[in-house]
Order: sequence, then C-alpha cells, then structure tokens
Amino acid sequence: MAQTEKKGGLLRKSSASKKPLKEKVVLMYDEIFMTEDPSKCNPRFWEELFLMKVNLEYLEGKLEALDGEELMKIKDNINCLFQHCIQALGEEHPIRVVNALQTLCALIRGVHQKNKSTSGFDIINMLVGFDKAELCMKNLMESLDSLLCAEGSESLKSLCLKLLLCLVTVTDNISQNTILEYVMINSIFEAILQILSSPLSRREHGYDAVVLLALLVNYRKYESVNPYIVKLSIVDDEATLNGMGLVITQALSEYNRQYKDKEEEHQSGFFSALTNMVGSMFIADADEKISVQTNEAILLALYEAVHLNRNFITVLAQSHPEMGLMTTPTSPIPVTPVTPLGTTPPSSDVISSAELPLDADGQTSNLLITFLKYSSIVMQDTKDEHRLHSGKLCLIILTCIAEDQYANAFLHDDNMNFRVNLHRMPMRHRKKAADKNLPCRPLVCAVLDLMVEFIVTHMMKEFPMDLYVRCIQIVHKLLCYQKKCRVRLHYTWRELWSALINLLKFLMSNETVLLAKHNIFTLALMVVNLFNMFITYGDTFLPTPSSYDELYYEIIRMHQNFDNLYSMVLRLSTNAGQWKEPASKVTHALVNIRAIINHFNPKIESYAAVNHISQLSEDQVLEVVRSNYDTLTLKLQDGLDQYERYSEQHKEAAFFKELVRSISINVRKNLAFNTLSQELLLKEFSTIS
Amino acid sequence: MRAEEKHSEAEERFWGAIGAGMSPQRAPIGPLFGMSPETAAVFEAHGPAAAMGDSVADPGSGGTSLSVIAEGVGELAVIDPEVAKKACEEVLEKVKLLHGACSDTAAEPAPRAAADLANGDVGDGCEIRCLDDPPGAASRIREEDEAAANTVKSARKRQKNNSAKQSWLLRLFESKLFDISMAISYLYNSKEPGVQAYIGNRLFCFRNEEVDFYLPQLLNMYIHMDEDVGDAIKPYIVHRCRQSINFSLQCALLLGAYSSDMHISTQRHSRGTKLRKLILSDELKPAHKKRELPSLSPAPDTGLSPSKRTHQRSKSDATVTISLSSNLKRTASNPKVESEEEELSSSSESLHKSCSPPVRLAPEREFIKSLIAIGKRLATLPTKEQKTQRLISELSLLNHKLPARAWLPTAGFDHHVVRVPHTQAVVLNSKDKAPYLIYVEVLECDNFDTANVPARIPENRIRSTRSAENLPECGITHEQRTGSFSTVPNYDNDDEAWSVDDIVELQVELPEIHTNSCDNISQFSVDSITSQESREPVFIAAGDIRRRLSEQLAHTPTAFRRDPEDPSAVALKEPWQEKVRRIREGSPYGHLPSWRLLSVIVKCGDDLRQELLAFQVLKQLQSIWEQERVPLWIKPYKILVISADSGMIEPVVNAVSIHQIKKQSLLSLLDYFLQEHGNYNTESFLTAQRNFVQSCAGYCLVCYLLQVKDRHNGNILLDADGHIIHIDFGFILSSSPRNLGFETSAFKLTTEFVDVMGGLNGDMFNYYKMLMLQGLIAARKHMDKVVQIVEIMQQGSQLPCFHGSSTIRNLKERFHMNMTEEQLQLLIEQMVDGSMRSITTKLYDGFQYLTNGIM
Repeated sequence: MAQTEKKGGLLRKSSASKKPLKEKVVLMYDEIFMTEDPSKCNPRFWEELFLMKVNLEYLEGKLEALDGEELMKIKDNINCLFQHCIQALGEEHPIRVVNALQTLCALIRGVHQKNKSTSGFDIINMLVGFDKAELCMKNLMESLDSLLCAEGSESLKSLCLKLLLCLVTVTDNISQNTILEYVMINSIFEAILQILSSPLSRREHGYDAVVLLALLVNYRKYESVNPYIVKLSIVDDEATLNGMGLVITQALSEYNRQYKDKEEEHQSGFFSALTNMVGSMFIADADEKISVQTNEAILLALYEAVHLNRNFITVLAQSHPEMGLMTTPTSPIPVTPVTPLGTTPPSSDVISSAELPLDADGQTSNLLITFLKYSSIVMQDTKDEHRLHSGKLCLIILTCIAEDQYANAFLHDDNMNFRVNLHRMPMRHRKKAADKNLPCRPLVCAVLDLMVEFIVTHMMKEFPMDLYVRCIQIVHKLLCYQKKCRVRLHYTWRELWSALINLLKFLMSNETVLLAKHNIFTLALMVVNLFNMFITYGDTFLPTPSSYDELYYEIIRMHQNFDNLYSMVLRLSTNAGQWKEPASKVTHALVNIRAIINHFNPKIESYAAVNHISQLSEDQVLEVVRSNYDTLTLKLQDGLDQYERYSEQHKEAAFFKELVRSISINVRKNLAFNTLSQELLLKEFSTIS
Repeated sequence: MRAEEKHSEAEERFWGAIGAGMSPQRAPIGPLFGMSPETAAVFEAHGPAAAMGDSVADPGSGGTSLSVIAEGVGELAVIDPEVAKKACEEVLEKVKLLHGACSDTAAEPAPRAAADLANGDVGDGCEIRCLDDPPGAASRIREEDEAAANTVKSARKRQKNNSAKQSWLLRLFESKLFDISMAISYLYNSKEPGVQAYIGNRLFCFRNEEVDFYLPQLLNMYIHMDEDVGDAIKPYIVHRCRQSINFSLQCALLLGAYSSDMHISTQRHSRGTKLRKLILSDELKPAHKKRELPSLSPAPDTGLSPSKRTHQRSKSDATVTISLSSNLKRTASNPKVESEEEELSSSSESLHKSCSPPVRLAPEREFIKSLIAIGKRLATLPTKEQKTQRLISELSLLNHKLPARAWLPTAGFDHHVVRVPHTQAVVLNSKDKAPYLIYVEVLECDNFDTANVPARIPENRIRSTRSAENLPECGITHEQRTGSFSTVPNYDNDDEAWSVDDIVELQVELPEIHTNSCDNISQFSVDSITSQESREPVFIAAGDIRRRLSEQLAHTPTAFRRDPEDPSAVALKEPWQEKVRRIREGSPYGHLPSWRLLSVIVKCGDDLRQELLAFQVLKQLQSIWEQERVPLWIKPYKILVISADSGMIEPVVNAVSIHQIKKQSLLSLLDYFLQEHGNYNTESFLTAQRNFVQSCAGYCLVCYLLQVKDRHNGNILLDADGHIIHIDFGFILSSSPRNLGFETSAFKLTTEFVDVMGGLNGDMFNYYKMLMLQGLIAARKHMDKVVQIVEIMQQGSQLPCFHGSSTIRNLKERFHMNMTEEQLQLLIEQMVDGSMRSITTKLYDGFQYLTNGIM
C-alpha cells in the first residue's frame, strides 16, 4: 500500500500538480464515484472510458479512500464499471482490453484495501453485485481464458496473468478470498497448462503461470474439493510437465547462480583484506550478506507438482527440453521484446535457455540436481524465518521424493551418474572442500550427502528439531528402498554413521536445554533405529562385507556415546516423569548396539592385552570384529523398515497455510502494474490501429 | 525420340546377337497372363522393335504419354519413374494386340489388364499386377517351364538356337545356375546395353534378399557407370522403392553416400542425386496408397487407438501435419500443443518446405537426424563422463517424440520405435569422436506401411492410470459448489492418492525376493518396537548377516567394475538376455507381446562405407564357407551407411573387447577363459575353446584377404561363447593406419591366442591351421564372388582402401589361384609362423598402449 501511494505521489507531482489540469480519465473516474449513473448524460461514457489511459493510482487511491458504507452508495456504478470492464475484454481493439484489464486490477485492489475485514461475500457484492456475480465472473474468466490461449500479444497475456495474480493475492489468507470460488468454477487451468507447454509463452509467462497455479492449488485446500488440485494431479502431458519443470529449474538455478556470484564476490574481497587468522570471525557475518531472497512461491509450485502429480516425478530426472532448441536456431523469434514484469524476478527471464543445461562445471543438469543445490544453499542458514520455511519445504519435497518408487528408481540408477556440487557451509573446523574432484555417482548419493551435511552443520542452540526429524526420515526412507530392492549403493556410509553419532552426542550434551523445548527421544530413537537397520539388514544393501565390519568398528569406536545415551534414557525411563514412555522406547531400541559393544569391547581389550598393544589400529580392531561375529547374537527388531508416509493434511496444514500467506503477501508486493508501461503497449498496438 | 530409338536399336543389336531371345519384359509375361508357351512363342516372333514401334505410334491409351516420356528420358528426373511403367505398358500393349489377333489363345487375365489399361490408370494398374511379386512370378515361371511339356519348350529353345549364332550367353542366363552374383558380374562387365537391359529385368526374378545384398554395388554402378547400366538398374530400384519404405531409405542413404566422392558440381546434376531426390520427395510411395491418402490425412493416427490417450500421437508424426495440429489447440483435459514442433522441424531442412503432403520417410529421417545430431554435440564435450550424461539427457528428450513412424534399418523385421531406454545408453571408447551405443525398444508389426504407430504410454504408466481412475471427476464438483459454499466431501489426496500402491507393492514383493533371508519375519508383526516384550523375541546371529552379505555378493555374476573412463565395458558385459529382461521390466511398453529390444551404435564423423564393404565381404565369405561346409566362424555385423561421415552399426551382443577384458579382469586371456568357462576339461571350456579356434581361423583369413589393419585389442571382441570378433574395418586393402609400416604380418596371432588354443603343439592349434587351409581353398574356389564385391565398389570411389592402382590385383593375388593345395598349406604355415614371430604385432600393441592406453 505504501508503495502504491508513493508512486501515486510521484505521479501527482508531475501530472496533477494543479487541480484544474485534471486528466480527462480522472474526471471520468470522478463521475463514477458519484451516485448517479455516468452514462446518463453521456451515453458513450463507457466506450470513451476504455480509450483513456488508465490512471491506476488515482482510481485505487479513490477507492481506498472510501470505506464500506460509502462504497455501498456507489455500488451500482462500481458494478457497472466492473461489468463494462469485462465487456471491454471482448473488444477487438487491444487498447481497450489493456485498459479494461488494468482498471479491473485497480478495482479489485482498491475495494479490498479498505475492506480487509469485510467478508468475502460483501466484497463480491460491492464489486460485481450478487445478482450478476455468477454470470459476470464467468464472462471474466472466459475472456481471460481466451486471451491467454489466443495467439495474441504477449504483453496482453502477461497482463491477464497479472490480473489473475492480483485477484488471487488480494487477501493475505487465500482461503478467505471468496471471489476465487468463481475461479474454481470457471477453471483457467487449461490456459495455464497451455502457457507452460509452448516454449515461447513459457519463456515469457512461465514464472507467473507457475506461481498462479501454486496459489490456486492452495485455495481452501483442506476444506473443499479444489478442482485445480484434482486437475493438476492427473496431468500427464509431458510437454506441459516438462515446461513446468523448466520454469522451476530456471528460477532455482538463477538463485543458485546469484548466490554463487555473491559468494565469490565476498570471498575475493575477504581474501585480499584478511589474513587467514581473522577470517573465521567474519564468516558468519559474510554469510548473512550472501543470503539471497529465497523463492518460496516457486518452491511451493515444485512441492505441489511433486506431491500431487506422479507424472511429474519423471520430470525431475529429465534434462531440459530447451536443450534441443539451442543448437538449432529458434525460427520464431518472439514478437515482443521480453519485458521484465513485476512478479517475475527479472533475472529468470534474462538467462538465455542456452546456458541452462550445463551448469557451471560443464555438467548436464536436471531439475533434481538444481533443486539439491538450491536446498544445500537454503538449508545452510535456518535462522531467518523465510529460510527456515524454505529449508523445511525443501526437506518436505525430498521426503515426497524419497517415498516415490519411480523417483527412487532413478535416484539409485547406476547408469545415471552425476557430479553434484552441493554448497557446504564454511565452518571453523573444516576447510571449504575443493569439490572439483567429486566422484560421479548416482543421484541418491547427493541426497545422502545433503542430509549428512545438514546433520553436521545444524547442531546449535536454536536446534531445528523439526528439520532434523525430516532429515533422518528421508535417510530412513532411502534405506528402506535400498533394502527392499537390494540396491547396494557404493556410498561412504561411514560419513553418515559418524554424523549420526555426533548428533546423538550433541543431544546428550545439551539434554537440559533441548528437553525444555523438544522431545529429543523421538529423534534419538530414529537415529538408533537407522543403526539398527544397518545392523540387522545390512546384508541386503551394504556394498561389501567390509562395510559391515566398518559399521561395527564405528559403533565400537564411539561406544561412549551409546553408553551415555543408554544411561540417560535408562535414568529417564525409570523415573515416572514426562519422558518415561519415549525414553524407554530408546532403551529397547539400543539393545543390539549394546550387545555389540558388550560383545566386542572385552574381546578387543583381551586382544590388546595378549598382544601387548596399548592402542589398536583400525585394521586390528576390524580383525577382532571379523573373527568374533559368530558368537554374537542379535535381537531382531520389528518394523525397522516401516515408515509412516508423508501426509500433508494431518501434520503440515498449518505450515502450508502460513507459507501461502507469506507467498501471497510477497507476490502482491511485487505485483507492479506500473512496470508494464502503457507506452510499450501503445507502441505495440499502434500498428494495428 | 532419339533416346527411344537408341534404346530399341540397342535392343535389336542384342537380340540379333543372341537370336530371337526373350524381350526383357516378356520373361514374366507369358506365365503371368496364363499364356501357353505357344502363345508366348508366337508373341515373341513379333520382335521387340516392332512392339516398341507399335506402342510409340499408338495414339491410344498409353501411347501419348509414352512418347512424352521417351523424349524426356535421361533428362528429367521427374519422369524417370515412368520408365518402369513404360516397360509394363509396352507389354500390355502387346497383350492387347495379341488379344485382338488371337482371342482364342489369349488367357483370361489379359482382358482384365487391358480393361485396366482402358480405364486410364495404365501405369498403376499394370504396375501392381505384373510387378507386385517378382519372386512369386519368377517361381511361377520356373514351375511352368518345368511343367510344360518338354516338347514345347525344347522346340522353342531349338528355334532360338537355330536363329542365333551364339546363344550360350542366353542359355547361361536362363539356366538355374545363373544367380544374382553372376547377374551383378555381367551387369558390371558387359558392355552390351542389351545384356545390361536384360539383366536389369532379370533382377525382378531374384528374391528380394538376394538383390538387397548387392544393393551397394547396384547403386554404385548406377551412380558411377554409364547410362546404359543406370537405365537397366533403375526400373528395379524404383519398383522396390515403391514396395518398401525401408528399401527407399537405404537407397536414398546409399545414393547420397556414394555420390559424395564426386566433384560437387557434377554431383548436383548426377543421376544418383536425382534418384535420391526422387525417393526423398516421396513420389515413389506405393501407388495404390496415393489415392487413399487425401481422405486419410486429416487424422492419420489419432482415431485409431481406443486408449484414452489417443491424442498423444507421436511428435514426429505430428510434424508432418503441422497445419492440423496448430489448429488443434487443446483438448478438455490436456492442452496439447505440439511444442516441440519447431525443435523438430527446424533441424530438418526440407520438412517445412514440403510439409503439405505427409512425407513417408520424414519421421524416420528425423529420427536418424536427431541421433546423428546428438553424436555431433557429444563430440564437443571433453570428458567421457560429460558425454555420457549429455547422451542420457538428450535421449530422454528424444523419448518425448516417440513412438514414431521410425525404425532401425539394421533390424530384420518390421517394427516401430517406441522408446529409447535412455539410462542404458553408453558412450563408446573413441579418442576424438563420440560413437555411442543405444538400446531401442520397438514393437514388432506385420507391415510397417500399414500398421499404426503405437500409442504413447507415459514413462510411469502404472501411476498415471491409477491417479486418473481414482480421482473424482471435476465436473461433479462444479455443480456441488456452485450452490453453496458449504464444505463438500473432502478429497483427501494424501491418503488416497499416495499411500496405496507403493505400500502394496512393498508387501507383495517382500516374500518372493526375500525368501532366503530372515527379514521376512518383519512382516509378521508390524507393531512398534514396544510390543516386543509381549512376544517371543527373534534372535539372529551377527555372523549370519555378514555371511549372507558376502555370499550374496559372491553370487552376483562376474560383472565389470564401473569405470567412468570406459562406460561401455559394464554395459556390454551384461548378458544380453539379462539386459532385455531388465529393460523390459522397466519399460512402460514391456508388457506388450510384440515388444523387442534392439541395439545400435551410432557413429558420426566416421565413414562407414568401408565397413559396409567389409561387411559384404565377410558375409560373402561366410556363405561360401557355409556352402563348402568349412566350420569357420565369423560374425558380419550389419552396417547402415547414413552419409559419407555417419552411420549406424549393429552391435555384437554379449561381447566385450579383449582390451576391456584385460583391463577389468587383469588376467591373461587363457585365465579369463578358465574363469568364465571353467576348467580345462569341462565341456563348457572345450566348447569355448573350439569356438575360439574356429572364429580365430575365420578372422585370420579375413584379415589376410582383406589386409585388415589396426588390429589392437580394442578392436577385437570376445563373446560369451568364446568367439572372437574383429570390429572396425577402417583400415583394409590398400590403407593402413598412418602408414607407419606397422603390422606387416598377415594377421594378428599373439601367443596369448595360441595359449587359449592349447599351445603350439596342441591339437587345437593344428585344427586351427587346418581350418585356415580349408577356408582358403574354399574362398579361392569362389574368389570371383568376393573380388567382384570389392571391384564394383571401387568405381568412382575415393575411399582410402582403394588407394593406388593395384588394390584389386593384390586382392586377387592373395587368393593364390596358381598354387597347389600343398603349396597353400605351406603358405598357411608360413603366415602363422610369421604372425607368431612377428615383432611388429607386439610393437603395435605396445604402440597402442602408449598412445591410446589400449592393453
């Protein structure tokens, strides 16, 4: 609101400095704001109105100035204006259409601004009038639909999308925006898909279309049947789904690129200025500066696509359809120049498709890789609320992916090897890895790396419990798939094991602080059960027998942590306290780990004593382990390979509500009609007239 | 007119020479129209020249057009197909005349043909009638010949004999011994236009497959030899093009490739280029279909499949009906805009220009073009890894355009390409080019031309059908919500759409996979861990778990390690059947009974014309050895020449290069044999050893005869049965790599090979030498058949294998026609000895190891 006023102010300075010099259109607006019918004295009033250049600021300002009751007085005129706008959409002359579209935006926004608290029905009444609402809105949606699908001007289409976005985001809570019922009934889903399926229109409007779709899907998601959800879930046209994937990839990779640029900028700056000693002090500082505004809207779109549409999963692993285009010159050159529009981050339009398929390392990329990189950046810093949300959403998306059979199939596909450069947080105790010689591995390795990275880097006071739980769940789901399908992944499991053990260590050392806020036992239980998976089912998915030995080695080496954990949960489960139940679950889960420790430790000690060695080498320990398996009996635990499937409605509804609210506000803030300058449109249409 | 005269004049000379022989067109006519031999004999008496004159003079049905054609012969490519019709027209004219003259003897079909003629559809009508089935016709001729009373036949022959001074040639031509090889030979060597024309017509009588083998020779003669040969061949080519789309494609490709050595200015106006254009312009589509097409075109394939996804017709197919599809904006549930159109068509030069009538060959050419384009793009990437990734993603895009009316010309059956399992593709080892191997899923069909392109099935078929069925129709909800805003029954996609099938799968699969493992116990209780106290705990030994782990790993077949620098090793090592099964399981089309898996190597930047030549020679030798019952084993692999610098190769399945074997297994060849096939005295080892010896002997002969060079271990494959297979015939005959003078030995025979054969004194080694001797004797017997293949291809060729003037002479000399069998045996001994001792073989391997890292 402040923004529009400011802009209005600017404009007033130039054009409306003195009252007598009012534009004609302003005079006409004033007439509308009278109680009388403006067409009474001028029968051609409406026709003339849409020939005038719209003064959005004035119209919006005027509407905002009125409160509900005043507005009710001129309701008829407003209704009339609304109706005539819709009528004008069908006009042949594009200037009228443009003006009508802009007027509609102003109307919708203006009426909402003042009446935020008013119920949606009243707003519909004020704008359209109850009696005509259904027909009017039907006409409006049909006109928009045909404008979007027609082979017309690109800027016109863009304006249509803006109007829709404006309509969708006028309220903070999308589900309270009752007017959207008409958008539900008169679906524009097909139009959105069409935009996404054709390369040209996708390039121009893909971002807006995807954001619009993501928002529409979230309208009264949990309370009623949203046809957009239904329709999105059954789309199986590959061109469309790919188009959608491409738009998302573009936005995410653009973010990655920006982040990388900033990071490099900082690094080079610091290297010249600082000695390595002081450097570490500034890293945290630098990090915050690096942060680029995350793009929740696009992430939400990705989530909805992955969650709702099973065919979309195939898109994740697919490279970009634009790729074929770049070598062959695109014959139809866009008629209109690319106009950087309000909602679209200007950058995503700027990057040419030719750069896309190869990332910085000259590697072929796909949506999943881009997403993993994006996640690695976003999850680095979870302090800021937006990033926390984004990070959470990333993990949710990964959860959905980890549950999907087809996704798992290509994640684990031995023939699809990629080198995924994840961003790693610079930390005091480790150097920033030179990842240039990363091996080329199946994609699941990158997912696991990302999870390990998260586990290692987020043991802090503000413990992101929720994210940790999701992270462990993802690992668990991947392991379940590997166990089920007997996939023997050549992954350095040791890194995961030590990360998990360190996590347990952290939980215990911060027991008092953490227990005040979280139930750390669920997390501990999950971690312990991951180990149980490896211990009892390792034969089904570990790559080599020696990796099984290594598992034992790692457990024995870090036995102190398990011992401590055991004594802690034992203590709490014997007390009749709040944590009795969850803690006792952990004690039971620890049975095999304790058996291993109790079995091998004495053997190792005696080996050391017999051979007079004070400190056993790794090989020696492994040897002891290997020779003493047979005397160890393990208890088979149930349900290790079972997991609860992700369910949005029951657990995440609040999160998504909040997320959609923040996205709505953000989109509305960025929606700028003024950027779509009238001059440009005039120029474009001058040839037609 | 002049051309016409010349033609008949030439014919007359020929007929004069061999007497009142058969007119070229007449051979099939008699039996075909049910004429008795007598009638035919009477008919023959008319003489070709007279008949010709008749037809030209006749102003009736076919006459006028004919004269126009006659003028245009050899000048206008457009009229060329008419030449083929002409032959038939003439014949029909004569039939008509005959019918009028002696109606009592004329057989029944003749009037029908004549009636057709009167209808105006002269060309088409008779085309189908008389040429539809040449082998059939030919066999009928033979049958009738045999069936007919000897009296009539011999009388006829006597008549000919009497009127001819030298009928031996004709007698040869008419004899059963006259095979396609001889036909090609006479076509090439004879300077008589009449003989050439006769053989041109005789081509119709051979089986298609027989002639197909010589297609490169025929086309090369067509391009590079004089006009008479070309005229003689052309009707046959045109006829076959009309019959088969695959033949059309092969012709077009070969014509392009073999014309490329000509100077650019002559090339443009050459006969070959014109014929190629004619084929590609699709003028030669089956005549009877031409008429049907207009009515078909509005919806070529869409309405034919009953599936719900009918509108998902293949993109390649859609490109040819661009105008249609752009009107077809979107359908109710799925907006279907042919978004990849520009992509497809922009890469094709001619598609847009001639897009109004559907071009038969367009989807296939598009398919091939995309494959070649991928290869070209891959070549620009520096590392194998990047190439592989890029290849996989490029192919995944190609998949969007499939199924299509495309096929793999290297396959032996009619089919449509439906999917390329992109993750299975591998980049092959090559230093600067990027050949790659792809697997292609196809659906077999009875007849490519008539079968519909299969409907597209989305990649994850099961899920999509599920979600489509389970979700409520949106239409209902409209009504429900319009009235009130009250909450309607909730559509809970979380529980319904997600959780069902995967979990079911999980449980269904468990018992069968995990039978030998204790983890199926977990099925019995799905309760949480706390419930354990109440039930009997299950104990397992840690040792068992580890033991199972090592056992299971030991049981996996000897697969190769994944090596980013040699991605093809793993892919090629996997047994073919295993691979087929695996890919079939993962394919949405796998459930269809007509599903087949093919594989093909796409090479771009390489000239495969030499490979094709080598293939032909190998094939010829193979059949000679088969005929002579010499148990030599060689494996000619099919080659598709796409242009002078690109092509496709049919990969040898179940075979990896010896280089890969040695690098991966780090064993000697013999030890590898022992590892793969078992100990010395096992049957499997002995079979493998025999296979090795037979193939080794075969290829040694091939290498010697063709002077195959560049024989490093990367170019020698070993298949799962123990056969060796030589690949890469880039250096044969007169060319050798960089002419360093390496590889002076006759063929490659290393001590390792000899070790596998059981050492120098073993029985198998003697068997090897004996096989070579037998093989050489057999080959020598049929030397002409081999030399001919090479000789014809030398015409107009700039290929390095024909460098110098003595290529053919040297080739002939290597057959040692003048030697006795004892001398030959000595020669073999010498060559084997020489190769064994050859320091250059070792040197060359060392050289390859140093320069290319090939072991």
